[in-house]
Amino acid sequence: MSHHRPSGVRRSPGLLASLAALAVVAALWQPYAPDAVDLALRNVGMSWAHPMGTDHLGRDVLSRILVGFARTLAAVAVVSSVCVGVGVAVGILASSLQGFARAALLRTAEFASVVPSLVAAIAIVAMFGNGTLTVGLALAAGAWGPHALLAFGLAERARGETYVRAAAALGAGSAHLLRRHVLPAILDTQLAYLGAKVGRIVIAYSALAFLGLGADSSRPDWGAMLFEYRLMMFDQPTLMLWPGLAIVLLCVALREGIGWDKDAPARVSPP
Amino acid sequence: MALGRVLGEFGRVAIHLLAASALAFLIVRAMPGDPAVLLLLAQGQAADPATVAALHAQWGLDRSLPGQYAAWLGDFLAGDWRTSFRTGRPIFEEFAARLPVTLTVGLGAFALALGVAGPLAEAAAARPHGWQDRVLDAATLGAQAVPGFWLGCVLIWVFAVELRAIALFEAGPQRYALPIAVVALAVLGPLAQVYRAGLREVGRSDYVRAALARGASRGRVMVQQGRRYAALGLFSTAAAEAGTVVGGTAVVETVFGLPGIGQFVVDSVAVRDFFVLQAFFMVAVAWMLLASLAARLARRLVAPGAF
Repeated sequence: MSHHRPSGVRRSPGLLASLAALAVVAALWQPYAPDAVDLALRNVGMSWAHPMGTDHLGRDVLSRILVGFARTLAAVAVVSSVCVGVGVAVGILASSLQGFARAALLRTAEFASVVPSLVAAIAIVAMFGNGTLTVGLALAAGAWGPHALLAFGLAERARGETYVRAAAALGAGSAHLLRRHVLPAILDTQLAYLGAKVGRIVIAYSALAFLGLGADSSRPDWGAMLFEYRLMMFDQPTLMLWPGLAIVLLCVALREGIGWDKDAPARVSPP
Repeated sequence: MALGRVLGEFGRVAIHLLAASALAFLIVRAMPGDPAVLLLLAQGQAADPATVAALHAQWGLDRSLPGQYAAWLGDFLAGDWRTSFRTGRPIFEEFAARLPVTLTVGLGAFALALGVAGPLAEAAAARPHGWQDRVLDAATLGAQAVPGFWLGCVLIWVFAVELRAIALFEAGPQRYALPIAVVALAVLGPLAQVYRAGLREVGRSDYVRAALARGASRGRVMVQQGRRYAALGLFSTAAAEAGTVVGGTAVVETVFGLPGIGQFVVDSVAVRDFFVLQAFFMVAVAWMLLASLAARLARRLVAPGAF
């Protein structure tokens, strides 16, 4: 039994699992080829054959939204796991070290929180290419800092708690203490913080695609679709609606699925 | 003592800037392609070995790696930020010419968000579940789920296409209204949320209860004690949100066709204009550090004993 104070955040693992399953289906199957141009079927409105209509080149919008969904979720999964993984590892490591090594790790995490993640991502993507993995890692490069500082603070606090000191006094090893007492408290808070910022990860990924810096521009991405479709706003304003709605819905679904802490931003004070 | 602390803050900023410069320098050095050849090609000149060697010597590229870094840093501090491959003009001049546009959007959005967040959070903290409380929750959701570039497109559609209320792409102050509003919305939620959380925490604290028990009025206690404490969290969050303003400004400049630094950088990235990226990275980090420094000094002013 772990004694950490739960954050009281409601999570919905079922919702997250459904999103992941839907993304796998969306990556493997679309009603039409997402890039199939059919000039005879340009700007068709909503219908049973094309639930979201077709765009100015006659491509099926739903098929393109589905591909964009799978790609966005994959990138968000990369960013989230790197942020939480690296953040927790660095935070715990810094808390268990002393002196220069500890200070160096903390200063590095502080520096990473100072670099705006979209700016870092723009620079990294421009230089090292733009696969989904690269874009995810690029976004994580400027975003893991606050996770590490948060984990460090919690690890320090957990080590000072009476029950942890009592367990140590009873002869519990440090690996056992870490696994049973320190890690659960840290992960709970990490997820609550992630839930509050996951929408911004989705938005940052879409913003990169919107700016033409997203992963592989030959494949549909929600941000890239918006960049293209906004030019049609005079004739076909509904085209612009779908990718935007998709982004908003995914942000809300991920926030509810992971669970979020109303006061999360207040817990991480930047350097 | 106080002076020593302020100097310490500046030292901290200097160290972060130095780290950022080393990173920016190394990333650009790691990239493929000879910048001298790229610049000559961009200017439509032949890349003959003598000219390339002359540029290398001018930029210090013929020295050792630490020597190159020192040469670059010295030039950078002196205002020589190299030349853009794309436009063939000095990057410092390009940035300086676009800075007013970017600063108008960024600082305008910051000022608007702070100005609205304060009263909104105080009203929300005073009346839980009141309409201000709900507006604040909606603003938080907006920051976490509504992309600025989409909101910008929808606003353009509503105001320019449907209502024909404003001529968006004409020069004049009115063209800044929508971009500022879009960026402000992205930071309003987090700022107001933190300030409200701080105010509520104070409201539950022992010393406020003690003051109330002594007969002080609730409003007076909150104004005297609550604001001061809650402002500490607000300042920290504002410094962190300065990054959102940088990214949001770049995106919004592209959406609304504003000729700012962000738009210039986005155009440059497409053609891998290394030195522009390097300069932008430095400017963005400097902006973040300035925001962080301002927040720390403001915290010291509000609560001198707390640190």
